[in-house]
Amino acid sequence: MLSKSIIEDVLSAALTTGGDFSEVFVEDRYTNNMTLQGGRLEKNLSGRDFGIGIRIFKGLHSVYAYTNENSKEGLLKAATTAAQAIHGTKTERNIVLPMETQKRETLHPIQFMPTNMEKTRKLNVLRNANEIVTNYDSSIAQAIISLMDEEQNVLIANSEGTFTEDKRVRSRLAIQAVATNGTDMQTGFYGPGAHQGFEFIEGLDLNHYAKEAARIAVTMLHADPAPSGKFPVIIDNEFGGVIFHEACGHGLEASSVAKNNSVFANKVGEKVASDLVTYIDDGTITNEWGSINIDDEGEKARKNVLIENGILKGYLIDKFNARRMQAESTGSGRRESYKFAPTSRMTNTYIAPGESTPEEIIENTEYGIYAKYMGGGSVSPATGDYNFAINEAYLVKNGKIDKPLRGATLIGNGAKTIQKIDMVGNNLGHGAGMCGASSGSIPVNVGQPMVRVSEITVGGREAN
Amino acid sequence: MELSTFRDQLFTEGEKLGITELELYYEKQDSFACQIFKGEVDEYESSTVNGVSVRGLYNGKMGYAYTEKLDEESVHFLLDSVKENAELIEDEPEELFEGNASYEEKDFYSSSLDEVTTEQKIAFLQEVEKKIYAYDPRVVQSDYAGLQDQSVEKALYNNKGIALSDRNNFFFVAFSVVVKENEEIKSDFHIEITKDFSTLDADEIAKQAVEKSLSYLGGKTYPNKNYPVVFKNSAAAALLATFASSFSAEAVQKNQSLLKGKLNEQIASETVTLTDDPLLTDGVRSGTFDSEGVPTKKISIVENGKLKTYFHNLKTAKKDGVASTGHGYKSSYKGTVGISPSNFFVVPGEESYEQLYESLDEGVIITNLAGLHSGANQISGDFSVAANGYYVKDGKIAGPTNLMTIAGNFFEVLQDVEKVGTDLEFSPMGGYGYIGSPSLKIKSIAVTVD
Repeated sequence: MLSKSIIEDVLSAALTTGGDFSEVFVEDRYTNNMTLQGGRLEKNLSGRDFGIGIRIFKGLHSVYAYTNENSKEGLLKAATTAAQAIHGTKTERNIVLPMETQKRETLHPIQFMPTNMEKTRKLNVLRNANEIVTNYDSSIAQAIISLMDEEQNVLIANSEGTFTEDKRVRSRLAIQAVATNGTDMQTGFYGPGAHQGFEFIEGLDLNHYAKEAARIAVTMLHADPAPSGKFPVIIDNEFGGVIFHEACGHGLEASSVAKNNSVFANKVGEKVASDLVTYIDDGTITNEWGSINIDDEGEKARKNVLIENGILKGYLIDKFNARRMQAESTGSGRRESYKFAPTSRMTNTYIAPGESTPEEIIENTEYGIYAKYMGGGSVSPATGDYNFAINEAYLVKNGKIDKPLRGATLIGNGAKTIQKIDMVGNNLGHGAGMCGASSGSIPVNVGQPMVRVSEITVGGREAN
Repeated sequence: MELSTFRDQLFTEGEKLGITELELYYEKQDSFACQIFKGEVDEYESSTVNGVSVRGLYNGKMGYAYTEKLDEESVHFLLDSVKENAELIEDEPEELFEGNASYEEKDFYSSSLDEVTTEQKIAFLQEVEKKIYAYDPRVVQSDYAGLQDQSVEKALYNNKGIALSDRNNFFFVAFSVVVKENEEIKSDFHIEITKDFSTLDADEIAKQAVEKSLSYLGGKTYPNKNYPVVFKNSAAAALLATFASSFSAEAVQKNQSLLKGKLNEQIASETVTLTDDPLLTDGVRSGTFDSEGVPTKKISIVENGKLKTYFHNLKTAKKDGVASTGHGYKSSYKGTVGISPSNFFVVPGEESYEQLYESLDEGVIITNLAGLHSGANQISGDFSVAANGYYVKDGKIAGPTNLMTIAGNFFEVLQDVEKVGTDLEFSPMGGYGYIGSPSLKIKSIAVTVD
């Protein structure tokens, strides 16, 4: 992607003003986006992203520059300009990289490169999903089916001798169903994705995913407004994990811990959650959406136990924050593209399975809310306050699932909510999502088995 | 490769391949961003990025592709992708704009921003951060103090005679403050966006950032019920930004807007006028032509509550048999042509923010909304989102509430606007246009307090 001698020169030029670490990240990415709406292929876009990010550290100072200029002169200029922001002693260092980039066996084998697949084959999948959604019910007004795939080639080199390459291939199908009864419109969504090629898309059980999206939209059309007040809340598996991703995961990232901006800072070894909670971030799970071979700083992927039986065990750490925390990287440095300096981020994060069956959890709940599919939400890492939408909610009455509810939002404080988990199911599942933060929007999995929280504030339109 | 060489090669090769109409959109972005933490520069970032997107008509259908690498290989990648993508597309017919229109002559680039040195910018951040710590002993941390300086250059060419270019720039500072009293922690932020560095006042910014955060300390719970509500300007702008896509003709034509069939109907209370002004001098989204080359102009979307028009690009305008309103939009060279407002705002009314809540016997002021991207259904208008704010009793602010959720419907809120304030403010957040609103008084909204 870029010759070794140019990279060595850029790494060296970046250190001329006294920096103690320099890094080059080269990215060449091919993407395809197809959207079928109302049965017609309305969007069909191909693109190529290419650029280079240069990073310099000096102690706790970090400088980042990026460009898609790829001539030697252009890159040296970017490196020396960035170096001007480091006010150290002038030094001359000659960075020498290994002869060849480090080769690793991939953890995530790819069968069919999506960039080589005929688009008519992709279109067939979109059409099949569209048919299943539109035939589901007469109230379905429209289906919007999108297919996104990409092949991201990266080269990472730094002044400590890292010189490595990786190919990340990702595919995702997003199914949105819109149902209407004339005056009201509701939507349902399902978006499975993987660190895998076209074999993932072609192998998807469309009958399940497309029908679920349609079923959610139709069900919500007949839902009553959610009540407001404090209730026990049962959150189902897979994408239900988004709530702990926001409410706990972000607070365990070094980007907030290093500056003491997290409620979990300085609490390793302390009890921070209910005994039933073990929380793990694992980038090595084969072909999962949030999986990686190496992170965007060239560190290999690993499994990090963050909370074990309620006790805080560790954080997700990138190279820069590792300096402030005097700790080691945990293979968690990630970024959207060369346009972002990496920081500590999640990969596939999940609550480990417990012992209750989903049936037991519902039977043991006299009155509460069952969140079957969660929507998105956000959190303030400084306070831990979060908010979440529930895409498909039900009332639970006398241990049974009762009527569907719409417009339910959960609010609360992450550090308090994880103390209140009082049942954990045995049906662990993962769900694909995009997570946005300072290093951009990156693919992550959230996951959990069904869990029950003894009390969360639910905001709906029906005052209680 | 130079842009002009790349363009000429692309147009020549394209014609040989049977691509009859061809458009090249170019964008170059220079940016500088930096953050400080406890007086020291903590993050520092500079960048120059450019890219092009191409759309071309092949066998009567439009194909799209983009690249960030301007080389010979990319010319072939773009043209091959345009052909391949056009073959499968089943969208409404599209055509490129003929270049004989006249354009406003206006330059939105502020050269004064180029004269501010990096040292001055960093010194300004340090000054504000220092003032934040000094402002009140309850400040435990200035957890974000950052700036961004950005300039964007755009050019549009097609083989039907269009050759346009313009540029825009702005300077942005943001500060987030954490305050603590007893065991209660609160946090809020303050953002300013400007084209004139000299207008930034360090004392005022520090005061705003700290006082907003302090104002949430001592939160109480209040009964869950429907209250009359005042949305503070920034919260009102955030709400409008969330649902602005309903005014897009694309959403209407695709049955994804409840404003379908409502032209010339009363969709909001008479106090509400919504204007889009792409020629606003300080607008972040200002420009004299849209991303298809159509000249832009100021228009009313809603006038005294009546829906006057939707936002159109060439494709939706053709379908509806009207002229494009100049709202063809690409979020970058990576996108296809969609629709977006430019600088879109609620026209100010007559009363100040204070006057709006002084008339309430009991009510709630909403200062901040969170979770709009997830807690709002853009099609139905339903929202249920987290909010911060204050409880009002007998026309006075009694104090902050605990974290709330508010639930309602955007289209009902439009009808329920009783009064519009004078304090127009634009929300720098969000990608769908640069959206502004004064504070708004709303008849009633369901409020749940944690």
